[in-house]
Amino acid sequence: MAYEYQAVHALDGTIGAIAEQRTNHLSVHRMTAVAMVLAAPGQTAEAAGILVSNGEFEARFSGPGEWLVLSEVHAPETLAAELSVRLGDFAFVVDQSHGRVVLTLSGRDAARILANGIAVDLHADAFPIGRAANVLCSHLSVNLARTGNESFDLVVMRSFAEALVDDLKVMARSHDLSVDFATR
Amino acid sequence: MASLISCPHCGTRPKEEFLIRGDATPVRPAPMAAEEAWHDYAHLRANPRGRIREHWQHVAGCRRWLVVERDNFTHEVFGVTDAAKAGEGAR
Repeated sequence: MAYEYQAVHALDGTIGAIAEQRTNHLSVHRMTAVAMVLAAPGQTAEAAGILVSNGEFEARFSGPGEWLVLSEVHAPETLAAELSVRLGDFAFVVDQSHGRVVLTLSGRDAARILANGIAVDLHADAFPIGRAANVLCSHLSVNLARTGNESFDLVVMRSFAEALVDDLKVMARSHDLSVDFATR
Repeated sequence: MASLISCPHCGTRPKEEFLIRGDATPVRPAPMAAEEAWHDYAHLRANPRGRIREHWQHVAGCRRWLVVERDNFTHEVFGVTDAAKAGEGAR
């Protein structure tokens, strides 16, 4: 029997069209390539050295010897293979492009909105640009990264994406928030 | 209940991010140890008041197992170490 598979984004059909972006905007990425990298025992420093951000991909701290690597340049099909070649025996790589959803929250009140559900100090001194951490957002575990003074990336497991967006809407109830798919 | 735990990998986090497994003091007996030793290890637990060592897992963070030393009466936390490191020290 022949099957026809269709790539459907986890949030397809749950986000309505918007006329314009508001003060704060939650952008849902469609095509970000994501890979999980776990350093081989005792090889954390070597793997970290190879994963230094180079404009091609960006490694985000997830745990000791463990990173989420995101790339806008590579296709989901090629990122994991590329990383495997670069890391060799230093680490194990698993493609997560279709297993995770990447969201970007940006705007004047981004940190205040997140503070309504995340119990981590998001002041720029305590959580500077480039810092990433796995945190609990309401009841969901997400990887949070600061990408700018007023912008954060959230990486969440695919099946929790809808719940996370709902939670973020509630967290932003007293702030002006719009949600849409990223145009890129 | 101690409400803030300083994870050695992630920094200070609320206790909601953690799963508490229980007493960290029992040491697993040798495979061929007496039945009594295994019974003690598997089933018998002290219920002390005061300073205790517990296994906590940072499930919503780095997912590492930690050993938290805390006072279950005053809620004071004395120290948090990665369980792998704590285990090395015990051996």
